[in-house]
This record gives sequence, C-alpha cells and structure tokens, in this order.
Amino acid sequence: MSVNDFWTPFELYPFLNALFIGLSLASIWLVAALGLTIIYGTMGVINMAHGEFIMLGAFSTYVFQTHLGVPFVLCLPLSFIVVAIFGWAIERVLIRNLYNRPLDTLLATWGLSLILIQVVRLVFGTSPLYVAVPEWLDFQVDFLILHLSGLRLFIMIIAVGLVALTWYLLYRTTWGIRVRAVMQDKEMAASFGINTDRVYSLTFAYGAGLAGAAGGMFGALKTLFPDMGSGYIVEAFLVVVVGGIQLAGSGLSALILGELNSIFSYFTNDTFARFVLFSLIVIFLRFRPQGLLSEGMKRR
Amino acid sequence: MSSNLYHNRKAQWAAYAVVFVIIALVPFIFDNPFVINQIARYTVFAILAVSVSLVWGYGGILSLGQGLGFGIAAYGMGMTMQMQFQNPETDPIPSFMLTNELTELPLMWQPFWSTPVGLILTLAVPTAIFLGIGILMFQARVAGVFIAIMTLAILAAWYSMAYDMQPFTAGFNGISPPLPFQFMGYSIDPYGAPAFWICVAFLVLLTAAAKLLMHSKFGMVVQAIRDDAERARFLGYNVAYYQVLLFTISGFIAACAGLCYVMVVQYVSPTSLELSLSISAVIWAAVGGRLSLMGAIIGAFLVNGIQSYLGDELQQVGMIMLGGIFIAVVLFLPRGLVGLAEKLLSPREGAKSLNGEAV
Repeated sequence: MSVNDFWTPFELYPFLNALFIGLSLASIWLVAALGLTIIYGTMGVINMAHGEFIMLGAFSTYVFQTHLGVPFVLCLPLSFIVVAIFGWAIERVLIRNLYNRPLDTLLATWGLSLILIQVVRLVFGTSPLYVAVPEWLDFQVDFLILHLSGLRLFIMIIAVGLVALTWYLLYRTTWGIRVRAVMQDKEMAASFGINTDRVYSLTFAYGAGLAGAAGGMFGALKTLFPDMGSGYIVEAFLVVVVGGIQLAGSGLSALILGELNSIFSYFTNDTFARFVLFSLIVIFLRFRPQGLLSEGMKRR
Repeated sequence: MSSNLYHNRKAQWAAYAVVFVIIALVPFIFDNPFVINQIARYTVFAILAVSVSLVWGYGGILSLGQGLGFGIAAYGMGMTMQMQFQNPETDPIPSFMLTNELTELPLMWQPFWSTPVGLILTLAVPTAIFLGIGILMFQARVAGVFIAIMTLAILAAWYSMAYDMQPFTAGFNGISPPLPFQFMGYSIDPYGAPAFWICVAFLVLLTAAAKLLMHSKFGMVVQAIRDDAERARFLGYNVAYYQVLLFTISGFIAACAGLCYVMVVQYVSPTSLELSLSISAVIWAAVGGRLSLMGAIIGAFLVNGIQSYLGDELQQVGMIMLGGIFIAVVLFLPRGLVGLAEKLLSPREGAKSLNGEAV
C-alpha cells in the first residue's frame, strides 16, 4: 500500500460530488438519530435497542410491501405505527422500571436487542431480504457534477420533513410543551399536573416510530439482515451526543459529521475516515461534553 | 456489618481460594483436551470480566471499551506467535502479507521478531492506550453515559481499522499463527493442561492483586468516588487521578486476557474488537455481580457455560434466553447472583454496605 494509493489528490468535481454524498450520509444519520434524540433527550434513557427498532421498521416495511402489496410510500407511516406501538409496549413493560437508573437502561435495552435480533432471525431466516425501490424513485440524478440516486434524494427530503414534523410537535403543540416541561424538570412538571408517565410512554413510542420509519427507508437502501441495526447505532449515538441531545443540535451535528466523513473518505478511504472521525469526536467531547448546542437543561 | 459472613474478609479469601482450586483441578477431572481448552477460554473471559468489575463495579465507570484492551493485546500476541514461525533468512514475511502484495515486513511488525519484546508490547501498548484515553476523559470530568458512548466510539474506530488494514492485520480472516506459542524452549499446546494453568495463574494473580488493591486506601477512595464523585472531590481527593489509574489498571487486566486468549485459541480476528464482546463482558459481570470480583468470575463461567452447552438446536433460542436472563438480572437482581448470596447470608433484612441505588 503506497502513499499514492492511500491518498487521493484533490480534484474539484469529484470533491463536490463527495460533498453531496456527505449530505446524503448526513440525512441518513439524522433519520437514524432523530428518534434517539427524542428518547434520550426527554427521558435520559439510553436505548441500545434503537438499531433493532430500525431493523423492525425495515422488516415491517418488507412485510407490508411484499406480502400485503402496500405501496412503498404508505409502508413508511405503517412501519412508523407498528414500531411505535411496539415501543410503547416496551416502555410499559421494561423501561418504566428503570427511570432512576440510566446506565441500567443501557444494559436492559442491550438484552432486548439480543432478543429482537434472534426472534427476527427465527421468523424470517438468515437469507437476505430486500425492500423493492418503487419505480418512481428508481432514477439517477446526473446534473453536471451531481450524481445521486432518487432514493437518496427522497431520504434527504424525508429527513427534513421528519425534523420539521418533530419540531412542530415539540414547539407548537400542547404535547410538545408538556414534553419540554418534563425534560427540564420532571418533578416540577408533575407537580403542575402533567401526567409524566403518559408523556414518557408517548415520547418513547414516538421515538421508536421514527426509528421504524427510518428502517423502512434503510431497507430500500440496503439489504435486510436481522443484525442490520448495529450498523447505525454507533453513528446515531454520536450524532445525538455531539449535537448536545436536542433537535437542532442533532441536525447540525449530522450535517457536520456526514460531511466530514465524506471529505475524509474522499481523501483516504471509508474505514480510515471512520477512524479519524470517531477520534475527532472523542477529542471534541473531551473539550465540549455538552455538545455543539446545549440548552443548559438539567442532565439526568 | 461484621455479622454478615459475606463481608468477612477471611471468609471472602477462603471462598476465592476454594473457587480457584476447583478451577485449577479441571485438567484432573476432565481428560478431554477440548473441554480443557473450552474451560481455558472461560478462564480468559473471567479475566476480562474482572477488568469490567474493577472499572464498573468498583469505579462506577461503565466502559463499553474493555474489549479494546483485550483486542489489541490479542493482536499483539497473534503477531508475536506469527513471527515465531517466520524465519528471518528464508521466510521473513507472513503469507497473508504476500497475498496483499507487501514486499517487506511493515515497521509495525518488526519488533515482534523478538518474543520478549513482543510480549512486552502486547501488554504495554493497550495499557498505554487506556492511560491516554483515561487522561482524555477523566481530566475533562466526563462521567456516566458519556464514558459509555466515548469508549464505544473508540472501540468502533479500532474495530474498523483492524478490519480494513488488510495488509497489516489480515483483515476479516484474521491471523492464525501456524504454531502454538513457544516460550523458553517449550511449545505451549493450546489444548494442554499447561496452557490452561497459565490462564488460571493469570486469573488468580490478577484477581488477588485487584482484591488487595480494592482493600487498600486506593480502593476505598475509588469506591468513594463511585458513590459520590463530587463529595470525594470536595474532600480534597484528585478524582481524575484515581479514575485514570483505575481505568489503566483495568486496561492492563483486559490486555492480559487478550494475551491468554490467543495463546489458547491460536487465532485472532477483528471479532475480538467487536462491540458485542465488550458488552458481553459487561453482561458477565452484571449477571454474577459487578460489585464483587468473584461475582464477575462466576458470571463469566456461568454465561459462557450456558451458551456453549445449549447445543446447536437450542443455540438460537439460547440468545433469546440470554437476553431474557440479562433483562431479568438488570430488573430484579441489580447486584447479580453474588448480591443474592449477600442477601441470603445476611442475618437481618437490609444489611447493605452501599446504598441500594446501583449506578
């Protein structure tokens, strides 16, 4: 491996294309991280099964599309609902008992993820499954320097849409006010008559649902495997933590991390880019553990 | 407190001695080399679990990166054993490098010509890396969940490097040294009793040292920091110093486990740097009881034993059971099996040395 193989020299057009790929990567990470931001930000729960929620979303999209013939666009909201209901049940049965032990939620949800992977493996087998990309998304944008598949463009648009929806729910609805109140101070919110248990269940369900919708899109992007969730969990956590555990922060950090990753991979290769990026994140967190943006909320 | 046998130091040492003697007698009980090899692996995992117990149970630092020390040491040992097979004159380059079009031995591999240097590097490099990470994290007063996520990120970064640097690490295939480990003229058969006893010796020495350390003033301060870091800081203790030191020691113990592991499996691949190994180690410690080194050891033997004796058909259900057991332990037995023993030995209800809130 000589230096020339390793180091790609700078050329304008391929580099600009790398920036677009970075944008696409950022949108994927953002979609994966969105549900995590809500769940961690509101409840302080480290959901290690988030990747498996994404996986469940992908498999339910597959079931809706292949076995029930539902069009792809409708599969996404349906996956949202399926995984949201599942998340709601998990919150009731498992997470509820662990609110005062954040590190233990990490361990318990890891146990949950083991179970989910294995159950899905038993049900669907180990052979790879695919979510078919609908015809109207099966195109390639080739505009001067820009080369991007229709699906990736679609994910970018949905990512922006989901952020907007979540922002609206959090900052423009009564439920959002309650969530933010609970986020800032649970006891105080409860003493003002907010049913915090209910807020927690709904928030967890919403975060899980977001993972489900993300899974639907990732299923179309890549092959479906029971353990596909592990490919997203680390990046998703890093996006959330670097962003400062809030909505705008996650958007910003997904953008920065996606672009940096893409730029590093342009000059070197994917793996080395990952190594450099993760090392930079660790150093960044050492100097700014509160993340890029932080509302100075109460940490739990 | 003294009324509970569980807290009696002499009784504790006696229990440790009994367990260690039972483990050490395994080669006399089972004549089957495969069983001996398997239990040697459990012993190695028990060492890793001890490192988790030390850092998490005693230090309150949930590190998801203990596998980093294990994995890097495993690679060091793999490289050492591979170079024992190579001949400087006739066959200076491992064959996987030739297939990856390397024409000379990379600089990173050069020191491993010498077995003692290789062994020293195997243990020193991971320890130094843990020292560096520890300084980075604890100087900044990073705590709790952030440590888990930072160690996770570091581990993931190293995993992808081991995976991708094919010419240096043989990538996905991993390094399989053709010969067993040679040391001072002896060839240590991975399926033999001596290899097993080396692992047990590591376990006994490291556990005893860790236990003595935790009974010392250093150990007391470390546990005080776990219970309330802020209070310890106000009492004038340099919290970061204790945490960095504890983290480094745990890295060294994990490295010893990695070294022994490659000695008994004669193979190293990126799986030793996988996240699932690190979290499994946390599971072992949690099931057995992270607040006790013995608990972690028992947990490692128990969980691994269950996993391998379920058989192939039950293996799939086994993962579900494992996840279920783990959730049940977190929910109902936050102090693990050893915590249960503590409760049973306790003459009255509610004799607790720590506040019940496990962090």
